[in-house]
Amino acid sequence: MPAIRHASKRKAPPAGFSDIEDDLLIFSNKMKDAENAPTTNVPRHQVHWPIFQISHQRSRYVYELYYEKEAISKELYEWLLKNNYADKMLIAKWKKTGYEKLCCLRCVQTKETNFNSTCICRVPKAQMKEDQAIECVSCGCRGCASSD
Amino acid sequence: MLKSTHQKIPLPEGWTEHKAPTGHTYYYNAATKQSTYTRPVAAPAPVAPVPPPATPAQSFLQYQAVEGQPSAGAPFNSFGPGGQQHGGRGGFRGGRGGHDRSRDSRPQPTDKPISRHAIPDNENWFLVHTKLGRRFVYNSAKDQSYWRIPDKLKDGILALDQQRIKEKAEALAAPKEAANVPQGAAQRPTMAAEAPPANAEGAEESSEYEEVEVTDDEGEDEENPPKRQRTDEDAPDEPVEFNEDDIAYQLAQMGQEYGLDPGEYGDETMEGWEDGQEGMEMTEADSNALFKDLLNDFGINPYSPWEKLVEEGKLVDDLRYTALTSMKARKEVWEEWSREKIKELRELRAKEEKKDPRIPYLAFLQKHATPKLYWPEFKRKYKKEPEMRDTAMADKDREKFYRDHINRLKLPQSTLKTDLSALLKSQPLSQLNRDTLPSHLPPAILADIRFISLPLGIRDDLVEDYISTLPPPPESNDDEETEEQMKQRQDRERRQKALEDREKHVAEQKRQQRRNLEFGKGRLREEEMEIERAMNVSKKGLQGHLMEVDGA
Repeated sequence: MPAIRHASKRKAPPAGFSDIEDDLLIFSNKMKDAENAPTTNVPRHQVHWPIFQISHQRSRYVYELYYEKEAISKELYEWLLKNNYADKMLIAKWKKTGYEKLCCLRCVQTKETNFNSTCICRVPKAQMKEDQAIECVSCGCRGCASSD
Repeated sequence: MLKSTHQKIPLPEGWTEHKAPTGHTYYYNAATKQSTYTRPVAAPAPVAPVPPPATPAQSFLQYQAVEGQPSAGAPFNSFGPGGQQHGGRGGFRGGRGGHDRSRDSRPQPTDKPISRHAIPDNENWFLVHTKLGRRFVYNSAKDQSYWRIPDKLKDGILALDQQRIKEKAEALAAPKEAANVPQGAAQRPTMAAEAPPANAEGAEESSEYEEVEVTDDEGEDEENPPKRQRTDEDAPDEPVEFNEDDIAYQLAQMGQEYGLDPGEYGDETMEGWEDGQEGMEMTEADSNALFKDLLNDFGINPYSPWEKLVEEGKLVDDLRYTALTSMKARKEVWEEWSREKIKELRELRAKEEKKDPRIPYLAFLQKHATPKLYWPEFKRKYKKEPEMRDTAMADKDREKFYRDHINRLKLPQSTLKTDLSALLKSQPLSQLNRDTLPSHLPPAILADIRFISLPLGIRDDLVEDYISTLPPPPESNDDEETEEQMKQRQDRERRQKALEDREKHVAEQKRQQRRNLEFGKGRLREEEMEIERAMNVSKKGLQGHLMEVDGA
C-alpha cells in the first residue's frame, strides 16, 4: 500500500488512474477486511493465506492491465509499482517462462524448505497422483504450474 | 330406468329374492344354500359348435375396429366430459379376466359415448350421443368437449335433429321386415365373433349384470349382445375415424396453420427436418459477439478485473449470458472485449479535446468567490467540493486564479466590460459565430478569467448581443460513419434474433419431453391401478370366484 502523504506534498497520479481507481479501492478494502478478520479457529499456517491471495490478485490485475491489455500507460504502471499497488518482484517472475502463474515468491524459495525444493503447488497436475487435492502451506495455492 | 330393465330378467331356478334389514336386496338359493347380493343369472345353455374364443389380442383388435369413434391417441382418456374410462368396456373382459372395473361400491350408471355426428356447417365440431341418452359437443381441432352447447352450433344441431327425426319417421313407415333384413345380414359376422367371449364369461357375467344398456327405444333390448351391436350400428354414420396417422396429420396441419416449423411442434425426429427449420444457425463468432453486446449493454467497466464481474453476478440473468457455454470461453471473450474497449476508449479520448479543468473551477469561483474571504479561508470552506479536489489542477494554480479573480472584482465595471468584449472579439469565426449557443461557448472563452469577472446577468446579455452581430459559420461538411453504424446495428439485431430462435426451439423441445414423460407416467399409473384392482379380492370378488368354480 502506498504510504500516506500530506495532501499538499502529494503529486497527482498519472493520467488514467481514475479508470482503475475504483477497482484498486475495492482491492484495498478487501485487504483491510482480511487484515482485520479474526484469526481464532484458523490453523496457524493458514492465517496469512487471504493476505497472500488478495495481494496476488491485485498484482495480477496491474500486470494484466499493463502487459496484456495495454490499458495503462508506462508512466501509470511505474507509479503503481512505486506506490506498492502491485508486487514488483512477483511480476518480475511472471515474465519468465515457467513462472507465468506463480502464486507467491515464497513458493519458489528453495532455501526455505527441508529438501531444497519448491512448494508442492509448483508441481504440474499431470505429475501428481490422481485425486490428490493440495493447498500449499505458504499461501493456500492449489497449483500454479504453467502447464495447468 | 336402469332398475326397471334390471328387474325384467327372471331369476334362475332355485333362487329367491329377499330384502335384508338394511334394505339391500339379496338372493338366496335354497338348493345350494348360497346367498348373494348380486343378481344371479341362469347359466347359459351351451351353444352348439362355436369357434373357440379368440385370443385376447384378437378380440381386442376386433373391438377396436368396432369402436373407432372417439379420436385416437393420448387424449383418448379425456374423451367425453363424463370422464369415461375406455379401459372399462365390457368387451375387454373376455381377454383380461373381468377385473377391469372396481365394483366395491354401488355400481354407478357409467356413461360413454356411443355415436358421433358431424355438425353441418361447423368444421371440427361433432355432436356425441352417450349411452345414457345425454349428448355433448366435441371439437376435434381443440380436442375438447363441452356439455354446454355453444351458441354458434345451435343451428347446426337443430338441423341435425330434424334430419334424424325425419329418418326415424321414414324407418317407421317402411315395413319392418324390409328394414330388418339387411341390418341382420350386416350384423351376422360380428355377432358370431361376439358370441364366444360372451358365453365363456358365463357365471362371471352375473356380477357384471348391473351395467345394463339404457337405450332410447325398447325394441333393441331383446337382442343378444346389445352393446356390441349398437356400436356396430352406429359405426357407419360416423364421419371420420381417427387413428395415429390421422392425428399426426392433423397436428402437422395445425402446425402449418400457425406457421410453425415441424421442429417446433415436435412429433418428428430431428433428422427429418429440412435445413433452416431449426431457426437461424449460430456461429461461434455470433455467440462471442452476443456476449460482447451483453457486456456493452451492462456498461461493464473494461478496466475491472474478471473476478469482480463474476462476483457481482449482474450478467447471469441475461439470456445472452448463455450464448457461451463455459466460463473459460466467457473469460476469453471478456478479455478480448476489454482489450478492444480500452483501445476504443483511448482513441476516443485522444480525439476529443482535453477538458480543461479550469473551466469548472472558474465557474465555481464565479459562484462562490467573494472579496471577503482570503484564499486559505475560501479553501477551507469549500474543501469538500469536487472542483477544489480535482487532481488535474494544482493547488497553486487554484490559489493564483482565486487571487486574480478577487483582484479583478475590485476593478470598475466598464473595464471589465471592455475586457470581455476584447476576449470575445479575439475568437475566430469558426469558434464563435451567429449559430453558437450561449450555453455552448468555446472553451477558450470559458477558461479565461476575464469571462467570469462580470456578474452573470450583465455578462450573458453582453455575450448574446455580441453573438447576434456575428456572421453565420463558414461552410464545412462531414457526413461519414452513419452507414457503418447502420450496418453494425443490423448485425446486432440479427444475432439477437438468432439467439431468441434457439431459445424458443429449446423450450419447445423441453415441453415435448415433459409431455412424453407425463404420458408415460399416466400409462404406468393406469397399469398399476389395473394390477391393484386385480390383486384386490373383495368379498364380492371371492364370491364371484366361488360361483365360477361352482359353474365349472
